[in-house]
Amino acid sequence: MQFSNLNLDYFSILPEIITALAGVILMLIDAFSKKAGRKLSPMFSLFALVATLASIIALWPRASYTASFAGMIVNDHLRLYFALVIVACGIIATLLASQFLDDEALPPGEFYALMMFATTGMLMMASAGDLVMVFLGLETSSIATYVMAGYRRTDLRANESSLKYFLLGSFSAAFLLYGMALTYGATGTTNIEGIRQILIAGKVIYPQMLLVGVAMMLVGFGFKIATAPFHLWTPDVYEGAPTLVTAILATGPKVAVFAAFLRVFAEGLGTPTAPAVGAQIYDNWINALAVMAAIGMTFGNIVALAQRNMKRMLAYSSIAHGGYTLIGFLTTEYAPVGFYMLTYALMSLGAFAIVQMLAREGDAKTEISDYAGIGFEVPNLSFPLAIFMLSMAGIPPMAGFMGKFYVFKSAWVSSPNLRWLVIVAIINSIISVYYYLYPIVVMFFRPPVSDFTKPRLSPMSQLALAITIIGTLYFGLFPNGALKVLQQKTPGAQQVAVQK
Amino acid sequence: MFELPIQQLIFLFVAAVAVFAAFNVILQRNPIYSALALIITMCALAGTFLMLEAQFVATMQVIVYAGAVMVLFVFVIMLLNVRTEEARQDRVKYLKLVAPLLFIALLGEVIFVARSVTTTAPPLATTGNEPAFGTVESIGEAMFSSYLFPFEATSVLILMAMVGSLVLARRRTMSEAETLGKLIEESGKPQLTPAEPVAKLEEKKEEIAA
Repeated sequence: MQFSNLNLDYFSILPEIITALAGVILMLIDAFSKKAGRKLSPMFSLFALVATLASIIALWPRASYTASFAGMIVNDHLRLYFALVIVACGIIATLLASQFLDDEALPPGEFYALMMFATTGMLMMASAGDLVMVFLGLETSSIATYVMAGYRRTDLRANESSLKYFLLGSFSAAFLLYGMALTYGATGTTNIEGIRQILIAGKVIYPQMLLVGVAMMLVGFGFKIATAPFHLWTPDVYEGAPTLVTAILATGPKVAVFAAFLRVFAEGLGTPTAPAVGAQIYDNWINALAVMAAIGMTFGNIVALAQRNMKRMLAYSSIAHGGYTLIGFLTTEYAPVGFYMLTYALMSLGAFAIVQMLAREGDAKTEISDYAGIGFEVPNLSFPLAIFMLSMAGIPPMAGFMGKFYVFKSAWVSSPNLRWLVIVAIINSIISVYYYLYPIVVMFFRPPVSDFTKPRLSPMSQLALAITIIGTLYFGLFPNGALKVLQQKTPGAQQVAVQK
Repeated sequence: MFELPIQQLIFLFVAAVAVFAAFNVILQRNPIYSALALIITMCALAGTFLMLEAQFVATMQVIVYAGAVMVLFVFVIMLLNVRTEEARQDRVKYLKLVAPLLFIALLGEVIFVARSVTTTAPPLATTGNEPAFGTVESIGEAMFSSYLFPFEATSVLILMAMVGSLVLARRRTMSEAETLGKLIEESGKPQLTPAEPVAKLEEKKEEIAA
């Protein structure tokens, strides 16, 4: 292969370059000055993430289907939009991290570096044009989050959570990799656009092998987005990990995996009109995902009803939200998934941030009963938490309502086969109102607990909270701006040549 | 029927060794024997790679996996001084019954795929002036042309894995030692064996769980 065919477009990987470099520099800051690192590291992380944000926006006019680095990197609107959400999650998490690390007296340097590397992996997932890149991005972000889950090393629950996440995560990665290998064997390429072309041309070498390969990839992705029946790890890991890390686990990686999932399934395997096995595969994965969405929503919501621990409840609620997102996924458009992920990320980060602040050192107070009567003691925390809970329940005018509405509407319009799912989802949303209202009732209408002291709030945490609250209300009231961005289609989607 | 080609015979032998050794890995009670069986599996896999004309991968399989990685495994097992797997009560008994069923389902899937694969695979597309398949040259060319970006991305992955393992395995910081110290003071026993803080932590965990 000639170098001129590779299209080494360094500008298209600028976001990944910035975050990876920032990770290395953060480690150097920590190595040379431990004292200054505590102040400098969060500032530098924020600076790097804002620079990444700027580079993504600068890439926007260049969005096209022309892949760079021999088909490894795709710079289209899907990638840019999801990268934006990922980096936004990273910024909010960084703002929250400094207080967490101070309160727990944990060493700061590696935490920020790991967060930067995790962000690099997530960005790679969003921009991957090849199964190899999807896997590398997934592993980079996963390994970083395994370590972050066990960052508080004296806490046995955190250790258990980290180990459980690591073992099950590796197991699911093996499934994903095996699926990719079989897909490669069946089609002769790992390039996602290449797979699509082969399906459309009807040139699949071994159709059965492709069926099994796709099924295994579905398992791998299903695990990472924590949808039922691959959700078993979620409650334990979310409960045991430090709350800030839980906030990171529940948002950034999930957004990124949905981006890669869309790329592989909605784009690569989204071939309803292809001859023979192409259409069969499309039908199969659509049906499988529909069932997964229905089980995920129902199971998540019903089990969440019985939870008395805030973090476990939010974990089951995130399984349910994964189910709602899958309904948007089934339209094979990226807009509903993207908008739902944006709203979900904002309200989840906000909710977990407040749980983190109320939990104190060592996550001691995460039972819902610990929140009794604090409503008017700390109105600056209880009212935002109420907003996030109502938003998750899907009550207007919060962003959660718009997210759900948009997903349900696109599914209802796009295909009559999805209408039953929308009905299941609406019933589920009604069930979920009960457990989202429960913490609010406890906070405002129960007699207060006696030993309650007001938690400290650093300016950076306040800023992060403000961003999530404003975002939750803004996208609930004025979603048009975000939706307009999402409905941009990369031009020339049809005339794409197979790379390689 | 009676004249099996020599390649097929070698393949059957190598494959049988690989499967037998892989079963041995999970059936052995002593972790050292498991690790040794894993080395045999790796070497047998190297044999299959060799038969697929992937000489470089076969060499790497022996040097890196059977050599370096497994030496590390054996070292760790010996340093940890694990002798035999302790017999302990399984918490969920029905899993013992479900696991073989799932294994059979997966095996069925593999057979389903394997049956569909014909031996007359389409030849690889070549332009004629490429280096021979499976050689160091062809792998080097792929690595630094089409797979350039994944190659670089892997370096980030490995760096991060290194940082991560250091974070989890480094010495206790002052604050962590203090946390442990506090727990020890609370227990009211100044003369502690190293195992006791952990027991104390477990108690605390149970309190939280209760």
